[in-house]
Amino acid sequence: MSILSVRDLRVRYSASGPEILKGISFDVEADDFFAIIGPSGAGKSTLIRCINRLVEPISGKITLYGTDVLSLNSRKLRRLRRDIGMIFQEFNLVDRMSVMDNVLSGRLGYVSNFTALFRLFSKEDIGSALSVLDRVGLSDHVDKRADQLSGGQRQRVGIARALMQNPKLLLLDEPTSSLDPKISREVMALIIEIAAEYKVPILCNIHDVQLALEFCNKIIGLQDGVKMFDGPTSKMNSKKLDEIYAMEVL
Amino acid sequence: MVSRTTAQARTEPKPAPREWRRFKFPESLYKWAGLMAALLFLSYSIVYLNIPLERFFNMFGRVGTLITDRYYPPEMEYVTEPDYLSSVFDTIQMAYLGALFGMAAAIPLGWFGSYNMTPSRRFVYPFARFVAMCTRAVHETIWAILFVTILGFGMMAGVLALTMFCIGFAGKLFAEEIEAIDMGPVEAIRSTGASELAVMVYGVFPQVRVAFTGIGIYTWDVAFRAATVVGFFGAGGMGWYLKRNVLQIETTRVSAILVSIILLVLVSEAVSAWARARVAKAK
Repeated sequence: MSILSVRDLRVRYSASGPEILKGISFDVEADDFFAIIGPSGAGKSTLIRCINRLVEPISGKITLYGTDVLSLNSRKLRRLRRDIGMIFQEFNLVDRMSVMDNVLSGRLGYVSNFTALFRLFSKEDIGSALSVLDRVGLSDHVDKRADQLSGGQRQRVGIARALMQNPKLLLLDEPTSSLDPKISREVMALIIEIAAEYKVPILCNIHDVQLALEFCNKIIGLQDGVKMFDGPTSKMNSKKLDEIYAMEVL
Repeated sequence: MVSRTTAQARTEPKPAPREWRRFKFPESLYKWAGLMAALLFLSYSIVYLNIPLERFFNMFGRVGTLITDRYYPPEMEYVTEPDYLSSVFDTIQMAYLGALFGMAAAIPLGWFGSYNMTPSRRFVYPFARFVAMCTRAVHETIWAILFVTILGFGMMAGVLALTMFCIGFAGKLFAEEIEAIDMGPVEAIRSTGASELAVMVYGVFPQVRVAFTGIGIYTWDVAFRAATVVGFFGAGGMGWYLKRNVLQIETTRVSAILVSIILLVLVSEAVSAWARARVAKAK
């Protein structure tokens, strides 16, 4: 039983612009670490942003835990977004806020405007923020400003923020592209451990094929908005990889 | 071999240097025509307004004698009288209140009027831009005249005039600052399911806090300068003393008031420059 199903998804950014995604379909199961690979400009980031509607597709159908994502109004969409944690390539932390406030901002979908405005997070939220920070190994950096941390530490804050949402799905948009190879591996290992602990499926954009083959159990390959490969990692081989990356994208 | 080719080259006629012009034909015409039009209009305006240029050049000699004959020495006792000093204090408070109220209104206006964060690009954005434009299109002295007519003489009219002025002034700068932010954190906060207010408070405000503080201090500085003249129209503050003494041809008092205004503006400028430098460092 798939928890996320995407059917015939099409995206264009302007009415006259080119089609970025040309009818993508795939299914994510409850225990998947699902990778989307492909060259730059293939539409990987666009695809992942359609799942929580940071990008609005022009047609298609997305079903997440039985909810029709594309038909939600803005209030219900915000409800849905709390269930989807997202981790970004550039970390997307608020640099001038403390690590603690960055992590607490993962709770913003659950609290009232008043609570948000005056930062009156509950004791439970603060407690779970501290234990999540412990889990990602940042308990010594709670009060530092986010821009004082190194790249790997910043991505750990990003992971902690996503976990604060109690997500039922994690979206990873190139989580390791801004990190060096060793730290990339550590961060991926941490994510896969956490996914097992929290029993949360992962949909992950990644252009480092080696990491995808190593950590993920399923792969789809995109090329210029078209799905070129869909299957378990074991079925991927170098010939198919060459096909996916065959087209030069400037 | 080498000598032969050089000899050959020497005998051959030198090829004409290749030509290149920065401005090709139609553009070059537009450029010169534009310059000619500007010069023509300049000479036309001088003739039309009947400006006697020789008087302009005689002016500098007259300025010296005028100042020494009539405006010097400034009557500094006048500006140290308690009545006048209390009007200076009024002016400072008026500028403070006007800037404060103006900025309180300018923050939502900046939000609604920034293209990237506005709640609705089709309705709210143009409306907010229009409001900011209207408040700026009317000069602060005109606002002062308007509010004096509605509310009568006094500080209230002055504060409201300055508030209107600051709304447009700060609102435009706030909107531009919000448009320059990094949208990454905004996307991240939005993806947690946060409301738009929470996105502003967590994703946008930390990024613009320093710039807003700087703009706030600058707004106060400009409001203070405006506050010295709104009194001219009866809207409270030291401007009223300036007007009275100009009408009574108390020239040495006028010069004393001008000296006091210049000093106060210099002080406010220095304070605001210092405060903005401090804020910029406190990143």
